[in-house]
Amino acid sequence: MDTENEAAYAEYVEQAWGQLVRAAVFLGAQPHEAEDLAQTTLVRCYTGWDRVRTAENRDAYVYRMLLNCLRDTRRTRWWKSRADADPETVAATVAEDVVDAAEAVAMADAVHRALDCLTKPNRDVVVLRYFVQLSEAQTAEALGIPAGTVKSRLSRSLAQLAANDHLLSISGDPS
Amino acid sequence: MTDLEDLWNDLPVGKAPTDRILREAHRAAMATEALAAEAARKERSARRRRFLVRPLLTAGVATAVVGAFVAGALVSGGGDAGDHGADSGSGGGDASPAAFQADLHPAKSCDALLKAYVDRALPLVGPRGWRHPRVAIPYPGVLSPGVPLSDDGIRQLSNQRGPQVVHGEVSRGYVAGKDLSADTPRTVRSTDSDTGTNVQEEGVDEPDTVKTDGDLLVRMRADELVVYDVSGARTVRLSSLDLTGIGDPELLLAGDTVVAVGTDDTSSTRHRDGRVQTVSIADPRHPRVTHDVAYDGRIESARQHGDAIRLVVSSGLPELDFAHPDGRLSRSDAREQNRQVVEDSTIDDWLPTMTPADGGTEQAAQQLAGCTSIAVPSDDLALDRVSIVGFDAADPTTVDGIGLAGATNVAYESTDHLYLAATPSTFAPGINLTYCLECYDPGGPLLVAPPTRAAQGTSYLFQFDLDGTRATHVASGEVEGRIPDRWAMDEAGGVLRVAVEPTSETGDFTSIVTLEAKGQDLVEVGRLDGLGRGEDMKSVRWFDGLAILTTYRQVDPLYAVDLTDVTDPSVIGRLKVSGFSDYLHPLGADRLVGIGEGPGPEGGWGAQAGLFDVTDLAHVRRLDVQVYGPGSQALAAQDPRAFTWLPGDRTVLTVVSKWHGTREGWLSIMRLHGGELHNRWLKVEYGDDVDQVRTVPLPDGRVVLVTGEDVRFLSL
Repeated sequence: MDTENEAAYAEYVEQAWGQLVRAAVFLGAQPHEAEDLAQTTLVRCYTGWDRVRTAENRDAYVYRMLLNCLRDTRRTRWWKSRADADPETVAATVAEDVVDAAEAVAMADAVHRALDCLTKPNRDVVVLRYFVQLSEAQTAEALGIPAGTVKSRLSRSLAQLAANDHLLSISGDPS
Repeated sequence: MTDLEDLWNDLPVGKAPTDRILREAHRAAMATEALAAEAARKERSARRRRFLVRPLLTAGVATAVVGAFVAGALVSGGGDAGDHGADSGSGGGDASPAAFQADLHPAKSCDALLKAYVDRALPLVGPRGWRHPRVAIPYPGVLSPGVPLSDDGIRQLSNQRGPQVVHGEVSRGYVAGKDLSADTPRTVRSTDSDTGTNVQEEGVDEPDTVKTDGDLLVRMRADELVVYDVSGARTVRLSSLDLTGIGDPELLLAGDTVVAVGTDDTSSTRHRDGRVQTVSIADPRHPRVTHDVAYDGRIESARQHGDAIRLVVSSGLPELDFAHPDGRLSRSDAREQNRQVVEDSTIDDWLPTMTPADGGTEQAAQQLAGCTSIAVPSDDLALDRVSIVGFDAADPTTVDGIGLAGATNVAYESTDHLYLAATPSTFAPGINLTYCLECYDPGGPLLVAPPTRAAQGTSYLFQFDLDGTRATHVASGEVEGRIPDRWAMDEAGGVLRVAVEPTSETGDFTSIVTLEAKGQDLVEVGRLDGLGRGEDMKSVRWFDGLAILTTYRQVDPLYAVDLTDVTDPSVIGRLKVSGFSDYLHPLGADRLVGIGEGPGPEGGWGAQAGLFDVTDLAHVRRLDVQVYGPGSQALAAQDPRAFTWLPGDRTVLTVVSKWHGTREGWLSIMRLHGGELHNRWLKVEYGDDVDQVRTVPLPDGRVVLVTGEDVRFLSL
């Protein structure tokens, strides 16, 4: 990779980091896991950067990668052993900037509880479309489902969340 | 705003660890290439995998595991271990075997040892038994010369390389005519071992698929040991013998005895337990198996000094009679039950053993070391059972063994000492590439790090004195950073020099650290930080007062480091060139060859060989580059045994693989003349057999070319 691409990649990392970590937590990861996942996702994107960079659907590509990583790790023993890691290790793994790792964990718990009322496919749609604010087409691309399905799942999910008082105002079109 | 939206916004995400990501990304990019190459290779072969030799791909990975235990007692002849290590300054007047010194203490009794094992094992118990079953990760470059130092768990490919160079008087002898005082840092010529193998340390032989004593040549062809007479004008095949029950054997040669070290084909466990067979070739037309010994652990390292053979064996956690959850047994009950199984285990479950099978009948299993010869190290090391086993080539059934109840993952042997290291497996403990790599090859060896706190960034070192077949622990120490593999360690003049990669405990650079035994402690006496900032270490080669080290990110800085004052290592000079060197080979005091990768003239990345002028270390120059073509691979980058330097002919031989619809093996015959490399190609092999190609120099100056099917003289 040449210097210019390298710089573009670094810039993208900076810009994408926060949303990726948030999305990972909303998709079910613990905070420390979320950072690992975001990192792994970005690392993977590096190898195909030319493809990623030029793609109109770059975000779709990256979030699809994130979902893959999440799924992969769920399948592995590694995940389990990390999840079993002692709290000290876990705390140490969380970025220094995090004021309070325990609080991050508590927040993640709240998120997971709130989204618990959704099925996994519906949750994926809500996270990508509503929170990350990908476009309908990007969400469809990332999840490998038709755009129409994104729309229908989203409206059903938002209704469910509203019924649970987690989202007061319902808007099918985040803006 | 809603509560979920608030949570989305408030969730602390930290700052993007961009540097770390870039670093991992570079590694991943290389790993991907390596994986692709590996996949292509795999596809070509239904053959079983090569034991430990498998190029470092896995090795990077390999940095992981293994336990070490060290204990000292002799299975045979235990009484007189007394004065070993007495020089370490500790009074040592007590009755415990002197196999241990330093902060390692042998277990006081079998009960004490069992208690230590059980205490450390209980947290590892889950509903299905051990929660962290041993991972199939070979030591990097142990049994086989793996190459290199790796960057991280992945790209073991490039790393290991750099055999060390010779030290001491002998080496100085090579540079006759030069004024080589000990205080002048110089490179020193390195040539093949007496048995024709390009090794890390002069005087310490390593296993290979081919060995020669100058008159006879033995080679493994799958399970067949073939003996050739190479004393005449043509090679003559004398005999062959099928070795049964041993998988992927590699050979050592001690006089008339061939020692085959491999895996136990009959072992039911998936741990690739080890097996050793000795074959007498006293009558080369009728070779016969003389001994056959099976180990209950994996052989991580095999080395030979004279007739003494030394193995490092890792037995992992014992197989106990664990329950599994099912319809009637809940997970938590299963876990409780399994904890009880561990609590109820006996010391016999834990002591590593070997089983001689003489004349085909299995004898009783023998313990490799008694309870009081097994030391329990700091619990910062993951639990494992490592044995250091020594025996005379003539009788592998009588062993001297000591053990360590903790995991180590790097073994380096100098002529006088064995060093075991427990080192973190990846750069940052939190990150892992590793787990995602599994996705590429779910059935393959996992890259999982051992559940050790060593992953926090510190490496633990254990130094053992070697005396014949015996080993005595003399000192221990720690160093912050990661030791990528055995090539990163070297001893000269009683000083251990180590090149370490960054971990969470260090800055983002490579360091060279010198350590010396002071009493029972291996203490740091000097260090040089800041080499290759933000780059990966690719290779190191050590000399008496000198280290040559290469790192890589976009270019390949080659550093010459002055080690004549071990308390104050300093950079003499550095050179930046395109591409990088995975393996460095010193031709003598003035020239060094680097085998690595780089861009070709018309673009197109591929293997290359570089010739460096190291006469003036402050101004190292690259005299010439031989580019091998896009997509080519120089095998020596991963396995230095595919490299031979023939000083008499001023010729370097190295095996290169290329793709032309199929994998082709070419021998690059490079003659040095006028500061240039003059290359001549010889096509020698196809497919998987490319890995088998060796060039073996004989004492009379002739060279035997060994390919998959053929053993013949090479005309230079």
